[in-house]
Parts: sequence; C-alpha cells; structure tokens
Amino acid sequence: MDKNKLLTKKPQKSPYHPSTGTLDWLKKNLFSSWLNTILTFVFATIITFIGIGSVKWIFLTANWHVISANFRLLIVGQYPIAELWRVWICLTLVSFLIGLSWGLWKGTMGHLTIAVTSMYFIVGCLPFILMETRIWLLINIAVIGATYAVGKKWSKLKKSTLIGWFLMFPITIFLLNGFGVLNHVGSNLWGGFLLTLLIAIVAIVFSFPIGLLLALGRRSKLPIVRWFSIGYIELIRGVPLITILFVAQLMLPLFLGNGIDIDNVFRAMVGFTLFTAAYLAENIRGGLQSIPRGQFEAAEALGLNTTIKMTFIILPQALRAVIPAMVGSFIGIFKDTSLVAIVGLTDLLGMGKNIISNPEFLGTQMEVFIFVALVFLIFCNLMSYASRRIEQSLGVGKR
Amino acid sequence: MLEKFKSDTPLDQRQDIVICNQLNKWFGSLHVLKDVSLNVKQGEVVVILGPSGSGKSTFIRTVNGLEEIQKGSITVDGIPLSNDIADIESIRKETGMVFQSFNLFPHMTILKNITLAPIWVRKWPKAKAEKVAMELLERVGIPEQAHKYPGQLSGGQQQRVAIARALAMQPKIMLFDEPTSALDPEMIKEVLDVIKTLAGSGITMLVVTHEMNFAREVADRIVLFDFGEIIEIGTPNELFDNPKHERTKLFLSQIL
Repeated sequence: MDKNKLLTKKPQKSPYHPSTGTLDWLKKNLFSSWLNTILTFVFATIITFIGIGSVKWIFLTANWHVISANFRLLIVGQYPIAELWRVWICLTLVSFLIGLSWGLWKGTMGHLTIAVTSMYFIVGCLPFILMETRIWLLINIAVIGATYAVGKKWSKLKKSTLIGWFLMFPITIFLLNGFGVLNHVGSNLWGGFLLTLLIAIVAIVFSFPIGLLLALGRRSKLPIVRWFSIGYIELIRGVPLITILFVAQLMLPLFLGNGIDIDNVFRAMVGFTLFTAAYLAENIRGGLQSIPRGQFEAAEALGLNTTIKMTFIILPQALRAVIPAMVGSFIGIFKDTSLVAIVGLTDLLGMGKNIISNPEFLGTQMEVFIFVALVFLIFCNLMSYASRRIEQSLGVGKR
Repeated sequence: MLEKFKSDTPLDQRQDIVICNQLNKWFGSLHVLKDVSLNVKQGEVVVILGPSGSGKSTFIRTVNGLEEIQKGSITVDGIPLSNDIADIESIRKETGMVFQSFNLFPHMTILKNITLAPIWVRKWPKAKAEKVAMELLERVGIPEQAHKYPGQLSGGQQQRVAIARALAMQPKIMLFDEPTSALDPEMIKEVLDVIKTLAGSGITMLVVTHEMNFAREVADRIVLFDFGEIIEIGTPNELFDNPKHERTKLFLSQIL
C-alpha cells in the first residue's frame, strides 16, 4: 500500500494562475510602466479622433444614395432586368448545394453557410432593396435550411453533391448566356460583382489542374515535357498580368483572324487561368520538393507505379504543405480580377468607376470605393478562413 | 520467375534467386561498387557487414533498382534488371525493402500504409488486404496500433510496421537496409526479434547491419564489404572465428 502511494504521486497544481479580471488585464497590458501609460494615452487619442471622424462621415456626411440607387448595377451589371431570374436561379442552386454540403460535412461548411446566410439576411434587410429581391433571398435562406435537413439525414448523398458542385459551373454559364434555348444575353452585359466572381471562380477551378500538370512536368524526366513546362512558367511569370490580358483581348483576335470571334469575357477568363496556372505550378513544385526522398523510395520499393505513387503518397502530402501559398494565390487572383476594367469589362470596380463618372453622382467616389473594398474584404476573409480550417482538418496524423 | 523450392532441399541444391554479376557503380568520379559479384540461393539469409561508406547499402539498393548500375548485370527471380520500368516494377513486386529511416507514409493510418500496395499493385479486394494486414500486424506484435498514424508510434513500432508493409506484398526476397541503425538501444531488440522469426520462414533475405551477434545468429552466409569490394564471403563461423583476409581481421578487431 505504501508502495502504491509512492508511485501515484498526486498531480500538483501549476503555480501559474493567469489573472482574469479586466482591471488586471488593463494594468498588465496597457499601464505596466509610465512609458507604456503615455503611449496608451497617445494612441487612444489618435484612435478616438479617427473613430469619431469615421463615424461622423459614415452616418452624416456620406451620401449612401449612390450605392442604394446603383445596387443592382454593382452586383449584376447591365444584365437585363427581365432576365434577372436566371441569376437568381443560379444563386438558388448554389444555396441548395451549400445547404446540402453543410448537412453532409458539417464543421467548416457550417461556418461558411452561416456566413453566406447572414449575408443574404443582411442584404435582405437593407431598406432600399426591391420586394422581389427580398422574396428571392428569403427563398434562398429557406432552401439552405431545407437542404441542410436533407443532407443531415441522408449521408449517402456525398458523391452526388460533389458531382453537383462540378456541374454547377456549366449550368451557371448556360443559364447566364442562354445559348439559344433561353434569350441570348451576351457577356458584354455581364458585369459588376457577378463578373468578378465568375472570372475568379473559373480562374481558380481551371488553373489548379493545369498548374498541377505543369509542376509535375517541370520535374519530369522527359526533356520535351520539362522544357515546355519551364518555358511556359518562366514566360508567364516574366510578363505582367495586364500584358497577358491585353494579349488575350487585342492580339488573340489578330492571330486567329476575323472569322473566329471569341467572347470578351471568355478571353479574360483564359488570360487569368493561364496566368494563375504558372504561379500555382511553382507553389505546387515547392510542395513536391519538400517531400523527403525516402517517401519516393518507399513507394517505389513497394512496386507502385508513378501514377499511384503520385496520387496516394506524394501529392496529398505536397498539396497539404502548400495550402497557405495556394490560397494566397487564389486570393490574389480574386482581387486581380479588378484589372479587367482596363480591357473594357465592367467588373465590380469597373462598374464603380462608371457610376462615379456619372454626373448625377459627382463626388461620391469615397462611398463607392468603400463599398467595393468592403465586398472584397468579406470574400477574401471567407477564403482565408476556409483555408485555415482545411489546414487544421488535414493536420491529422501530422508527422 | 523461379518455382517455389521445397523447404527440405539443402541450401546448395537450391536455385539462385539473386544473381549479381560484376556490378560497377560510380557516383561522379567516386567508384562505389567495384566488380561486385554475389549469388543468393532461394531461402538463404545473407548478412552484409562492413565499415560505413564501404558500399554495402548502395549494393543492396541496386538489387531492386533504387540505384542504377553502370556496368554489370543483375537477375532477380529470373527477371533481368534493365532500364525498362516494367522489368523494374515486376522485380519490386517480388522484393520487399525495409529502410533505415522507416519511410512510412505519415498521412495514412498504419492499416492504410500496409494495404495500399496489395490493393493497387496486387489488385486484392480491400477486405482481403485488410485481413492479411491485420495478420501481419499480429505477427509483428502491434495489432492494436492499426488505426493510428505513424507519428503516434515509437521508432521500434514504426520499423515493425515497415516490415509488415513490405511483407504484405508477399515478396520472395526481403532487403533490410540497416533496419536498426536509427533506433534507440532499447528498441533494437524488438525489431531484431521480428527479423529473426522471418529468417526461419523460408524467405530470402539480404540484411545490411552493424549488429554482430544478430549476424552470427541468423546468417547462412556473411559478406564483408570494404572500399566498394567484397573482401570475404563465408559462413558465420568461418568468418568470425577464422577470418582469412587481413582487412576482415582488422574490421572484426575494431568491432568486437
């Protein structure tokens, strides 16, 4: 019995007791010495002045009428009002998939769904919104709720939901364009945030496989594949994005001759995709290089061929290592879509500029730019939040 | 491919399963393998000794094509090793390898580590692969770790998983490249014990090691490497008690 007592020593309480009171915290972090006290007061004064100024401007001086009057233009550009239901159908389909994914995967998807739903809610509560818009938003929120319940119940739907996400892209393009079945809406009429989102999503989705192939190609033993990959990556990385956009917009029609007319928006999408692919390839190559040689040798010694070795052993580890860098590229490309304004497309920023130059809204650039910045801020933060969560969830069994 | 031998056939009447003829390899201008010739019989356990940098690891890695040779020829299980990737892959199917640094796949559970190759290379159904994997884990003494990740296991446990992973392909030949050199002293025994039980099971083994007692116990023949050459080949008794070559004597005097 004595022996047992000796072996099972009672765990001692840690001598460190963090203080929890607000006063303690203030004293420790803001007023710990006279120098810190002075600094605290100086910065408090500066922040107060900035704060008061901002609040005054936002609530008293600013003319938010420019946003409310042009809200539709900023979001969907000059998409015909009669055909707006198609955009709503697209959004509803997305809500359908979001709700389903939330029910199926929970976790991160849930946080993102809540963010999206609250965005619908906030927009729906804005005072200047049309009744029709409010109804559509309400339908969307209802759809998310309903599909969440469905997804929670039937966990077998995972595969079909993934296929649904992949089909979402062609369906969206079909609905927006019409392609003869519905009334044709040329992409010159697509604009505002809709255009920003479309270009960014296309660039992100399609640049990933291309970048992956380029990264593998650059490490290939076949000289032609390797030299092509190196040549492509270095060429694209050596040229500014603007130049690539100009080449896509102005030079491509020249090269292809007059007979072939490629859509403006499509050209921009191709430009962005090709540009992002080169940067992604270098990110992924960095990940591949971080995998120790022993992993390759172990896979080879087991008799795995190159495809299986890459798919199951090397790429999962390499891609996990470069998620932060890849999402960095994606966020970058999302913001860079505002460059299409230079080649004559009216994305969110381009639309904002058009509105400012309208004599009716003279001197409202501050309001418009702040609105545009806010939209970008929200979406970029959602992306980086999602990336952090994915990283965490893949961190299981880290070596 | 060679036919399976009967276990009561004496060693010298069995067929050669590994035939290495006049291997030469250079790393740049460094001549790391010099005219190395060695034949291994089916079911034989060959232990390779030698000072570090003597080319013994490089040699064992040429057998399954992880290192290319510049001159000479290798035949494994009747398949000549060439530059053709199909030949190399069919040789690798028949040879399991255990590395000094384990090289488990850190993003997969122990069970997935073991079943991956049988499922994708041998095309076994998942259930069969998992059954075999669990039997192997039982054999190496850690069935309860099947659903953990490699990072959660001790070094000795990881190396035993690595052995199980190699055995899951049911290879005819096992290559051990210093399997205990990266382990803490108290874990060496558990790994050597697993290898010893294998040595009696009829599988052909090539083992590079620094563990002299182990070598003496399990080896049918011992090969001594120095400066990229084979200095002496013999049974454990011949080599340890009655070494013929000066350099063998020198090596043994430094070790023992």
